[in-house]
Amino acid sequence: MTTTALPASISLSNSRRWKTLRKQLPNYLFVLPHFFFFTVFLLYPIVRGLQISLFDWKIMLKEQKYIGFANYQALLNDKMFWEVLGNTAEFMVVTVIVNVILALLVAVGLKHKFFGSDALRVLFYAPGILSVSVIGIIGIRIWDTQIGILNYFVTTLLGGPRISWLGDPGIVVSALALTTVWWSFGFPMLVFIAGLHNIPEQLYEAAKIDGAGRLGTFRHITVPLIMPTMLFVVVTQFIAHMQVFAQPYIISGGGPGNASRSASMYLYETAWKFFRFGYASSISVVMAVVMIVVTVVLFSLMRRRTEY
Amino acid sequence: MTTSTHPTPSPLWRRWRKAAGRSALMWLIFLPLALIVVVPVLYMFSMAFTLEANQLKFPIEWIPSPVTTSNFVKIFVDPQLPIVRWFTNSLWIASLGTVVIIFLSTLSGYAFARLEFPGKGLLFSLLLFSLMIPAAVTLIPSFLLLRDLKLLNTYHAIWWPAAASVTGIFLMRQHFYAIPVELEDAARVDGADRFRIYWQICLPLVRGAIVALFIFSFLGLWNDLFWPLIVLSDRAALTLPVGLIVIQQGSYVQRGLAFAGAFIASVPVLVFYAFFQRKIIAGITTAGLAGR
Repeated sequence: MTTTALPASISLSNSRRWKTLRKQLPNYLFVLPHFFFFTVFLLYPIVRGLQISLFDWKIMLKEQKYIGFANYQALLNDKMFWEVLGNTAEFMVVTVIVNVILALLVAVGLKHKFFGSDALRVLFYAPGILSVSVIGIIGIRIWDTQIGILNYFVTTLLGGPRISWLGDPGIVVSALALTTVWWSFGFPMLVFIAGLHNIPEQLYEAAKIDGAGRLGTFRHITVPLIMPTMLFVVVTQFIAHMQVFAQPYIISGGGPGNASRSASMYLYETAWKFFRFGYASSISVVMAVVMIVVTVVLFSLMRRRTEY
Repeated sequence: MTTSTHPTPSPLWRRWRKAAGRSALMWLIFLPLALIVVVPVLYMFSMAFTLEANQLKFPIEWIPSPVTTSNFVKIFVDPQLPIVRWFTNSLWIASLGTVVIIFLSTLSGYAFARLEFPGKGLLFSLLLFSLMIPAAVTLIPSFLLLRDLKLLNTYHAIWWPAAASVTGIFLMRQHFYAIPVELEDAARVDGADRFRIYWQICLPLVRGAIVALFIFSFLGLWNDLFWPLIVLSDRAALTLPVGLIVIQQGSYVQRGLAFAGAFIASVPVLVFYAFFQRKIIAGITTAGLAGR
């Protein structure tokens, strides 16, 4: 009985599957347009980038020479590469930490409305809509030794001497980072404000009844409950700022020496100034690996902390 | 202190005074930060209208005397600095790219939220995977590809790669999910096909997210420097941010010109921002939170 029924049911389900497939076929039209661009300008370049990094790729050559992992080997011994990677990490750490702390504190202050709080929110985000080129042009003058805005206040208000902010290898990266904070802390601030509004108000009331102070409430309610938002902010900020290019490129030119040259800037110069595309590709692959590893670590670290 | 759950019987003026006191305190705290945010921007405006000869004055001349438009005149008459052309290039690229991104992201986002097809899960994980890959990896191959296609120094060199971006899809997918399925079922009973349901029923319901995506994409394309710097090199093909770098770094180390250029690039977005600040802030929050 079952042996005779089986083929029939299979053919039935087959024809039904064929029918649903035919019905679903037009659905591909929805994803196809994007998938075309996605394949050509994301998937293909990722694979191609890995491939190019195995060649001694020079743009004017007709035949490119395969050299295996020689680029990566050279990279390991490239002092400049490790230096720019260190600069980039330093820039990223300062920017992310100051951005996150400043944004969270401002968000806590602006969470409850007061006269002009909306205006402040709008104001604090305003630099974020300007192009990084504009930020660079302004940034040059903020830190200028002779005529800079900062030294104006240092000399007139504090009566101090002019400080060579961008000329000091120990300061220059922090100067670029603080310029970036000025430009970009508005975004995490807005995200934090939205995140704070998602924390149930009853928790704060309960804490107040229990006699918790402001600082205690902040530490034991706000900070743990904002952690999911924090994870999102830290990861996106990390990815964005590890790829910093324009700030050192415009404001400090990577100097003094190589003290503020970033990894992206090194990549740009290797490819488009010295036309060593193979070597530049290996730089980009190492950057990607570093970033993916750190992102995964960040996720697992902060996941653990958010599991309350 | 401010959020009292019970309506207090205290007279109105006392509550008003409490609110005023809190406002004053908050302004005292926030005023320094507000000044730090504002002063550099005002400085840029001021320097744009300052004579080249007075650019190096120290202590800084905050209000230019005389107020001059000579920096702007110099930019506009210089054939080496076709800033009007740069402006229209930027406008075209940002507009075209934004429209394409919105179109592709809503189509794909709708499909991932509502439609079934073989390979959907695989495709979606592929998109997620690409989020992990930093742009640095794709720069060189994309550049070489565009060069081989003879598309360097064209608008296509910018909006084609922009069309591949996946963040908009995740944003739209989330918002299409939130639409009640019954709405679409009702339309289907009435005989509407899936394209009409997407276009006439669902799209209008995710207007807020589309506005958010519009703002993000437009500002991103308008302000971007790195990619245009790589694929655009002809003077006439540049966008404003790249043009500003040309003014800043080229043979034009005239300081006033750079500020006049920065002024021209910033004022449209600042005016736009001032007019639509409520929408923009809401949009940024929407798009920002979508990533969680």
